[in-house]
Amino acid sequence: MTSTTVTAATLRSLPFTVILGTGLALLIIAAALLAPYLAPFDPMRMAAGPRLAAPSAAHLFGTDEFGRDLLSRVLMGGRLSLGIGVAAVVSGLAIGGLLGLLAAFSGRLVQAVLLRVIDVLYSFPDTLIALALVAFLGPGIENATLAIAISLVPFYARVTYGLAAAERAKPYIEAAQLAGVRPGRLVRVHVMPNIGQSLIVMGTLGFSSAILSAAGLSFLGLGVQPPSPEWGAILASGRNYITKAPWILLFPGVAICLTVLSFNLIGDSLRDLVDPRRKGRP
Amino acid sequence: MSYHISLNRLRLLTAAAMVTVAGLSSATAAELIVARSVDADNLDGYKTSNTQSLQITNLIYDTLLTMDKDGSIHPGLASEWSVSDDGKTYAFTIRDGVTCHDGSTFDAAAAKASLDRALDPATVNPSLSAWGPITGSAAEGNVLTVTLSEPYGPFTSFLTSIQAPFMCPSSFAEAQFKPIGTGPFKLASWMRNDSIVLEANGDYHNTNPLIDNPGKPHLDKLTFKVIPEAVARMAALRSGEADLVEPSLEEATDLKDDENFKVYAAELSGQQVLAAFTWKIKPLDNPDIRKAIGMAMNRDAYASIAFEGLVNTANCPVAPNLFSTDEDLCASWGVTYDPEGAKALMEAAGYTADNPLKVKLLVHKLPGWDQMHQIMQQDLLAINVQAEIETREVAAFFDHMSVVNEKTDGEPAVWTMGMSGVDPDYLYFLWKRPGFVNMGLNEDLDALLEEQRRLSGDARAAKIHEAEKYLMENAYAIPLLSPGWGWLMASGAKVDGFKMGFMVSLLFNDVTVAE
Amino acid sequence: MQLPLRRKVERDFWENRLLMLFLILKRALVAFLTVLVVIVLSGVLIHVVPGDPVTAMMAQSVTATPEAMAEMRARLGLDLPVWQQVGLYAWHVLQGDLGTSIRSSESVAQLLLQRLPNTFSLAVSGLVIALAIGIPLGFLAAVNRGRLADTAVMVIAVLGVSIPAFWLGLILMQVFSLKLGWLPVAGSGWRNIILPAFTLGLTYCALVARMTRSALIEVLAEDYIRTARARGLRERQVLLVHALRPALISIVTVVGLVFAYLLGGQVIIENVFSWNGIGRLAVQAMLERDYPMIQGFIVVFATSVVIVSMLIDILYGFLDPRMRQK
Repeated sequence: MTSTTVTAATLRSLPFTVILGTGLALLIIAAALLAPYLAPFDPMRMAAGPRLAAPSAAHLFGTDEFGRDLLSRVLMGGRLSLGIGVAAVVSGLAIGGLLGLLAAFSGRLVQAVLLRVIDVLYSFPDTLIALALVAFLGPGIENATLAIAISLVPFYARVTYGLAAAERAKPYIEAAQLAGVRPGRLVRVHVMPNIGQSLIVMGTLGFSSAILSAAGLSFLGLGVQPPSPEWGAILASGRNYITKAPWILLFPGVAICLTVLSFNLIGDSLRDLVDPRRKGRP
Repeated sequence: MSYHISLNRLRLLTAAAMVTVAGLSSATAAELIVARSVDADNLDGYKTSNTQSLQITNLIYDTLLTMDKDGSIHPGLASEWSVSDDGKTYAFTIRDGVTCHDGSTFDAAAAKASLDRALDPATVNPSLSAWGPITGSAAEGNVLTVTLSEPYGPFTSFLTSIQAPFMCPSSFAEAQFKPIGTGPFKLASWMRNDSIVLEANGDYHNTNPLIDNPGKPHLDKLTFKVIPEAVARMAALRSGEADLVEPSLEEATDLKDDENFKVYAAELSGQQVLAAFTWKIKPLDNPDIRKAIGMAMNRDAYASIAFEGLVNTANCPVAPNLFSTDEDLCASWGVTYDPEGAKALMEAAGYTADNPLKVKLLVHKLPGWDQMHQIMQQDLLAINVQAEIETREVAAFFDHMSVVNEKTDGEPAVWTMGMSGVDPDYLYFLWKRPGFVNMGLNEDLDALLEEQRRLSGDARAAKIHEAEKYLMENAYAIPLLSPGWGWLMASGAKVDGFKMGFMVSLLFNDVTVAE
Repeated sequence: MQLPLRRKVERDFWENRLLMLFLILKRALVAFLTVLVVIVLSGVLIHVVPGDPVTAMMAQSVTATPEAMAEMRARLGLDLPVWQQVGLYAWHVLQGDLGTSIRSSESVAQLLLQRLPNTFSLAVSGLVIALAIGIPLGFLAAVNRGRLADTAVMVIAVLGVSIPAFWLGLILMQVFSLKLGWLPVAGSGWRNIILPAFTLGLTYCALVARMTRSALIEVLAEDYIRTARARGLRERQVLLVHALRPALISIVTVVGLVFAYLLGGQVIIENVFSWNGIGRLAVQAMLERDYPMIQGFIVVFATSVVIVSMLIDILYGFLDPRMRQK
């Protein structure tokens, strides 16, 4: 059909990095989903062990300043971090996708204005957009998620516009237009199925960036608030124990790295598959 | 005192014999670097009320009067003072020969100009109400006369506090404010959020009974650096980048046991940490619910875990050691820790584990407080109160509270705050309607608070007790801890003579640094 | 035959000049429009605030009478319709007036400008480190495309973009300052810049490595490289003389992008290391809800990013004549 379809042959020749990334991601998602069953303690329970205890058999990741079990907190924190990531990506992709399609299939003036604004916003790092929005909206998990979602909009709008514009230039679209197919139906029936896969791949890329933004916001005290065991929030409250109990900083940090790494590995390789012409833009 | 001078002189002589002139100047200039978590926000003493700013303004400016550890009033810029029999007229004799940092003379006229500015509505002085019902002032010779519309018991105490600096008129003679005072140190430079550099005032004459050194501070230069991260401040102390720092709570206990360091805790902080309620919102209008929540709060755990055992629990709505504060008396009025009893009260009101009372726990960020609120959240959960913590920065928090405290519906909230002062009159500032951030209560309490201002001595103490009893028996205020913020400092062992005064003021006049 | 040739050269010369001028003008106009969009957006942002900025400003003041607050509102123009307020804000900003900080009652522009040198010195140090590590790594990967070295570099690169910069900063701080005691953790001397600069450099070198790799791979596929190889030039010469230069030119285009991302990441890093730049000022303002300060930060930050990317575009125009035609 079209060049964006991932065929069985390309799947078989998937590079090792994709397999590694997918494996890791599945593991992390499973751990997050099963966290209530896997966590040895209630993540909020204080004095589950001695305060600031180093990793041991009883507490594999050690305990924090309240004697809460860090392994349980990191596991439950995964649910929060992944949840924020998914919510932000889905809503960001929905809004950004719509804007991108609108830009691709509207008149010249609307297109020019939309693209200009999208481009302006796209030239700023998404973490920074999220930061600025949260500054005005106020801290908290909902506001942070909303801010991260909006921060992803320019990226998704740009990508969708690119894909949709390329699709629109194809002869069959022109043929459909000549045949009198209305724009709405055109997008729904012809354009979406063809660019959908690529958008999903881009979704995974936005996902890792969303996780990083969420951790950064919480670390600065602008995102998820303690005692919620979000990874960035654990790092923020543990930073003063850096000399006394470095494990509080170590494990949530590693969790963030592995999660972001797994989705980057998947996204990067798949991006090369769906968009062979792309240059080294992040 | 003289010991230090002779030692310095000896050192100077040996140094002169051994090193070059350039080396000599650096060997004799005594310097101290202090690292704090936040910068001052304003050095205009009438435009700020936060501790970090007042700690600096208190070094640049003097107060009219000073206070000793026992609460007795001593001379400051005023060498003598008297009050008329009706308690409405005060006369302050300004000490002769007081000079400002810019060389001008500080006399009664200057004091009047400063006072006028403190009271001018255009100044927007955050501490305005604490100055009392002043109706006028006059300067005649070296006497400043202040008239009040009615007696104001806390007046002289307030004039000793770091909220009541007197500034030289040259500070505000021009549109651009310049910090010029008569205090032990003068401002050399200020780079916002980076450093404040102060130099010793060579002409200084001390009258503060908390200070031994009668004249110029031993230090020549005093630098305040801003290092927001506690970890970084501790590293700066350990590496010698800073001599005196606000330690992290987490490491202060370790420092205490280490002979290479000294930890200072302000005994005269006048600080009080309390929990309060949005009592206009159901079901917190019910005193039993408020009591139950108070009974659930494990203050010992807050002191020992959240604050690493560096603070004490407090029983009164006013800090210990202040006029009239009686911890035992307050204990008999307030709630005691009893989670089982609290749970029973909540269940009687229909709140069970399956149907918990949902509240917000509105708080602001401070070291130790964040941890305290997390424990508090668990305490409340144990009595079927599900509290969601909402943390803000100080200014944003009080902004939010002033809105929330006016509401009569919506989600009920438990909140915490701290207050400090040199006199229990801060009850008036907090609770007299509309009150601080609209936390004022009702006519009955207003009347009590008004009356105590007009009284003095035992009669005033009795009135204050009455107000405290009212607040506690109705569980409007749950006293938690004292002190609660910025009361700890730590230095290397070579720093000697550092003291902390009322309201965690920092006193550097006696400080020497050993080589 | 000489005359027409000279004419052609002269004409090309002037045409080039003209094209260059046109490019600069166009880029400047786009930059100006971009900044204008940002100013308007940040002017609008204050109206999404739940609550009221004047309450925030006067909250701690016990003299916050309704009259005083109304006066403050009028002074800030908050009693005007939204579009007028935004217009007024934009007008003030264009005149260099970013308003007054709620917290310190000082000029926002002045507070930001004071710190801009600190922020730029850290950003440039970070960028230099990122380029110094990233370009050789990317080069190594491209030359060994498909081999172990390539995979290794690319894994490092992905790892690099996956580590939160603030976490890396904390780890470096723990090891080099607290454990080994080699470097100070806070302050603004030259020794203090090392740790935050390396944190940024290590974080963003991955991005540079990736871009270098793909740029070089693209160049290596060009015809003239094949010709050069066919002519029997040594591989070393082909790579260093013929391939690296054009690849570097296209890397220039992405340096602006890296710089923007680096500045963004720096906001958090400045806070980790107590670096006295605009990032620390901004986060402080965000936590304190000092709205004029936050708006000012957005405007100054955006302008910096826009100016840098404009300069790089123009530089690229000089380096690569084809750009001028577009």
